Amino acid sequence: MIRFAVRRIFHAAVLLVLISLCSFALLQLAPGDYVDAMRLDVSISPGTAAALRSRYGLDRSLPSRYFSWWRSVVRGEFGVSFAYGMPVGSLLWPRMKNTLLLAAIAAIGSWFIGILLGIATAITPSRVLEHVIRSVMSALLSTPDVLIGLALLLLAVRTGLFPIGGMGLIDSGSTSARARDVAAHLVLPVTALVLISVPVLVRYVEAAVRDALRSPFIQAARAHGIAPWRILTGYALPAAANPLISLFGYSIGGLVSSSLLVEVIMGWPGLGSLLLESIFSRDVHVVIGATLVSALFLITGNLIADLLLYATDPRIRVER
Amino acid sequence: MNSPLAHRVSAKAPVKLFLRSSVVVFLALGCVVYRVPAEEYLVTSGAPGKYGGDLVVAERSEPKTLNPVMAVENVSREVIGLLMADLIHINRYSQQTEPALARSVDVSSDGRRYVVHLRQGVKFSDGYPFSAEDVLFTFQVYLDPKVDAPQRDLLTIAGKPVLVRKVDSDTVLFEFAQPYGPGERVFDSVYILPRHLLLRPYTEGKLNDSWDLKVAPAAIAGLGPFRFREYVPGQRLVLERNPYYWKQDARGQRLPYVNKVILEYTGSEDAEVLRFENGGADVVSRLSARNFDALAQRRNPSEILIDAGPSLEYNFLFFNLNDLSTKNLRHIESKQAWFRDVRFRQAISSAIDREAIVRLVYAGRATAIWSQVTPGSKLWRSANVVSSPRSVGKARTLLASAGFSWNQAHKLIDSSGRPVEFSIITPVNNSERVQMLTVIQQDLEEIGIDVHIVTLELRTMLSRITTTLDYDACLIGLATGDADPGSEMSLWPSGASAHFWEVRPTAPPPLWQIEIDRLMTAQMSSNDPRERKRLYDRVQELVAVNLPIIPVVSPDVLAGSKAGLRNFKPAVLLPYVLWNADELFWGARQ
Amino acid sequence: MIRGKSAIACGVLASIHGLALVANFAAPYSFAAQQREFAWAPPTSVHWLDRHGHFHWRPFVYGTNGADESRMYPLRFFVRGASYRFAGLFPSSRHLFGVDAPGVLFLLGTDGFGRDQFSRLLAGSRISLTAGWLAAILSLALGTVLGGMAGYYGGWLDDLIMRMSEISLALPWLYLLLAGRAFLPLDAPSSMAYLILISVVGILGWARPARLIRGLALSLRERGYVLAARTFGASGPYLLRTHILPDAAPVLLTQMALLAPQYIMAEVTLSFLGLGIDEPVPSWGNMLAGVQHYHVLTSSWWMLLPGIAPAVVALCCFTIADALAGRRGVVPL
Repeated sequence: MIRFAVRRIFHAAVLLVLISLCSFALLQLAPGDYVDAMRLDVSISPGTAAALRSRYGLDRSLPSRYFSWWRSVVRGEFGVSFAYGMPVGSLLWPRMKNTLLLAAIAAIGSWFIGILLGIATAITPSRVLEHVIRSVMSALLSTPDVLIGLALLLLAVRTGLFPIGGMGLIDSGSTSARARDVAAHLVLPVTALVLISVPVLVRYVEAAVRDALRSPFIQAARAHGIAPWRILTGYALPAAANPLISLFGYSIGGLVSSSLLVEVIMGWPGLGSLLLESIFSRDVHVVIGATLVSALFLITGNLIADLLLYATDPRIRVER
Repeated sequence: MNSPLAHRVSAKAPVKLFLRSSVVVFLALGCVVYRVPAEEYLVTSGAPGKYGGDLVVAERSEPKTLNPVMAVENVSREVIGLLMADLIHINRYSQQTEPALARSVDVSSDGRRYVVHLRQGVKFSDGYPFSAEDVLFTFQVYLDPKVDAPQRDLLTIAGKPVLVRKVDSDTVLFEFAQPYGPGERVFDSVYILPRHLLLRPYTEGKLNDSWDLKVAPAAIAGLGPFRFREYVPGQRLVLERNPYYWKQDARGQRLPYVNKVILEYTGSEDAEVLRFENGGADVVSRLSARNFDALAQRRNPSEILIDAGPSLEYNFLFFNLNDLSTKNLRHIESKQAWFRDVRFRQAISSAIDREAIVRLVYAGRATAIWSQVTPGSKLWRSANVVSSPRSVGKARTLLASAGFSWNQAHKLIDSSGRPVEFSIITPVNNSERVQMLTVIQQDLEEIGIDVHIVTLELRTMLSRITTTLDYDACLIGLATGDADPGSEMSLWPSGASAHFWEVRPTAPPPLWQIEIDRLMTAQMSSNDPRERKRLYDRVQELVAVNLPIIPVVSPDVLAGSKAGLRNFKPAVLLPYVLWNADELFWGARQ
Repeated sequence: MIRGKSAIACGVLASIHGLALVANFAAPYSFAAQQREFAWAPPTSVHWLDRHGHFHWRPFVYGTNGADESRMYPLRFFVRGASYRFAGLFPSSRHLFGVDAPGVLFLLGTDGFGRDQFSRLLAGSRISLTAGWLAAILSLALGTVLGGMAGYYGGWLDDLIMRMSEISLALPWLYLLLAGRAFLPLDAPSSMAYLILISVVGILGWARPARLIRGLALSLRERGYVLAARTFGASGPYLLRTHILPDAAPVLLTQMALLAPQYIMAEVTLSFLGLGIDEPVPSWGNMLAGVQHYHVLTSSWWMLLPGIAPAVVALCCFTIADALAGRRGVVPL
């Protein structure tokens, strides 16, 4: 297993380098660059624009820019943002923390609700309850994410209960007051993210629990007269946990990227909204930096999923 | 006099007396030599207000830098305008110049020399005194080729940079190479930099890297009404009141009134409106017409909504008139026979239903225009530009006289029988222009022309119109920062950087283009305002008749604030609502 | 087996697709027709009882979109309206239903140009459904080939393909997609340009189905009959074609039923971000993208109604997928 892990970590490093290379090349394919938009600003002359272009190195060849970027990476800066004039690292770090806060809380919420509802759907004797949960989840699943976000916004506007946009973080007041403010700002985006991801989770959990409950050893346990509650918690759930583990790993992988749409709609100051803005303004170093961050999470998530699977499922170990 | 000193003095009285009196004499001499100047204020004409409260402004994008030399977009410029001050300022409301850091200016009779008398006793936001040295340093920085400041081009007249000389500690002389049309307007937004903070970075060549958003508040100072306090990434920028600000109101109270200005970053105009409605922002500006209307219909008594009238922005359609002989663009070259015929362009202009665009796209909050100067530019608008309402009949007549005709299917065909169709590109991020094109597409279909609308991402569109020249027609909007025709110099002369419709001009240029070149150059070097108006009026008439661009509409400036905010007077020059941030105060609330 | 709920779902889907085929006929107006005096009009109320209390068998609308109660316009079938090409073949000007001018019938209201939203919804279903199925087919095809190879051959090929999938998931394709319109000639019709864009999105989405197919191939290759065929000397491609893929067919069908609605919803998101099809052609995505504007969100509630269409399609597809997956009851996505 250690060998497996080491091999995958080595792969991950190579992957990240490849992603940086491919991203650089990809971003070059689109015509135009950051400085081009200044053509529409009549107070900036072509001379100034050209000087700006050479200051940012946009008139150099691709390999030369790539190597400069690597030198900057070694210094810990990860390139310079054309728009902000600041190193990309210091730009990404606070935004990444904001995104992680949002995504982690949303993930905890959706897993909690998803597991509860999934188990409930699988074990409930009441067909009505099962039907209701399934229908609500199907309806949620079928609604476009964009609409869920907009509907929540409309609700917030009409009721005025929750703050819209931003993260709070008022600079005065005690820590607990600030924490309460941030929590109030978290309500809308977390609700949107939970509504978007819970239906899928419920499906998976229900399928897994149902499968586990149908297996022969559960039948045997029941035949032995073991209490249903103990069967559920002691036997069925651990068996059901297997497919869910890889899902959990993928959840971690998508932690940074899944919240992009919600961040944009709700105005949460995270990595997603920065990435989108940088894509629109062609701030390539920021785009590459943000891409690498989400790629890192993706690869780590996949790695954790594979490792966990390897560790918990004896069948895979035997096969290998 | 029971002090112990008294005894000692009486012991060696003459020596001590001599010492004390010489100290007094020296002090007196020193006061004569170095007068501590009394603080000179600029007294504003706005209604006097009261102190207190914070102002929360919703912005759709974040400021990117606090360095005047590196600021290239509007939000950064707006913030810097709150932190710093210039010598002579253009009042955004009246569109006239007024003295700012300069107490008065003497202009020589030939218009080339400006003797600027600086206000005395002014201090920077960190308490450091302001003097002519700062002015000299500022202009040295802006004119330095190694710094590449955008201000350098504005301060270069007839190819030569402006000459700056210190006359004494509060007088500076500026000398232009030739008389300059816009005159003292050139000093607006040329913000004075603090020599005591920026000299070291400048000599080390690091000026361009200074004053990014991570700067420590103690390392940045300016002469504006506010000073930098805090930046929370992705969320807000907080400015606090500058206690040394050099303006006071008619009651002698030092401005500004509010304690803090908080610029909240929201991401989009719709998000700004949501924040405003939700109480998270006190001021919004640059509202779209439809959102403004939606807010107005809710008749919320805690909101004040103001339509400040037509802005300086003009949206226009232009055709590809470039010389494409060296490019492999046969399909466009064959269409240029249509585009180059002025009657074709006039017919298109006649067929566009500007009134429908104003009504449908802007809910009536825009103005139809037939020249590049909008009604928002009160001083420069030519009275001779005729507004011609939409006339399909006139369009048909013009097209018929140009050799076009209609086939069985009512489609327009040219003299060789080719159906007339072309595509119009526009940037995708402005939904109002896309809507404008939807109306135009329908309008032109009525005279038998098939128009394809192609929305492109901004930079790919720019690449097409400036580099590859692979397009038929384009719809964009431009706004100059000042109403003065000086800011239009990068558009009208052929070969100018924003002369988009003819990046590669055909030779020989048409007569009216040569005339426009001559007129624009002439108005830039004349310092007689009436003469300049006459010249620029002629430019507008030539544009309206020959239509190198087809102006369509100009949107209004729409802004809103919470009730209780006084002196809120949106103007049509940028920054629309914060131009008088130092005069804004809270009447009833906060 | 297909019965019960899934039969209803199939029926609904079939009718939606049928309507899409004859959209020009079924819609009372052309999708681009601007009736500018009726901009932002709410849905027209259809009545059976008039203001005097009389019942009419034929439903009717009042004049001026319901404002003028003195004029009544009955609903007629096979009315004459704007001309079009039926199924793109022969010209016609009959529409399934409508009211005589100057009455107007806006079942879902109008947009800012006075264009009937119901007609645009029907016309838009063509683009959205085509885009969804096209992207799903491309995504699944590429994913099956690559995932199958990875699962069957294993070893370094498996590693390579899986790492390639991670790279392709991580790259910022949106950057290129935004500029993608730039690569196509300007006179390419916008629907073709848009479908090319969606195809690219579909191709780029090979990674997710690939993972699933890989798992499937991994398990199938150990089946008895496959091992037996191998001992008889069957080659890899032969095995994949003849034994493994047919067994995988139900899973593939289920995946199709799951992917198509996801790509339809991806189209909504892309239109939201500005990558939608150009005016005046409607698609479900660009009709919904307008709702992000404050004034639409708060004053024109009927603009949200087109959101029902992709939701219904998704619901039907998910129901069918569940039925296809059999007795397990639910299908993991």
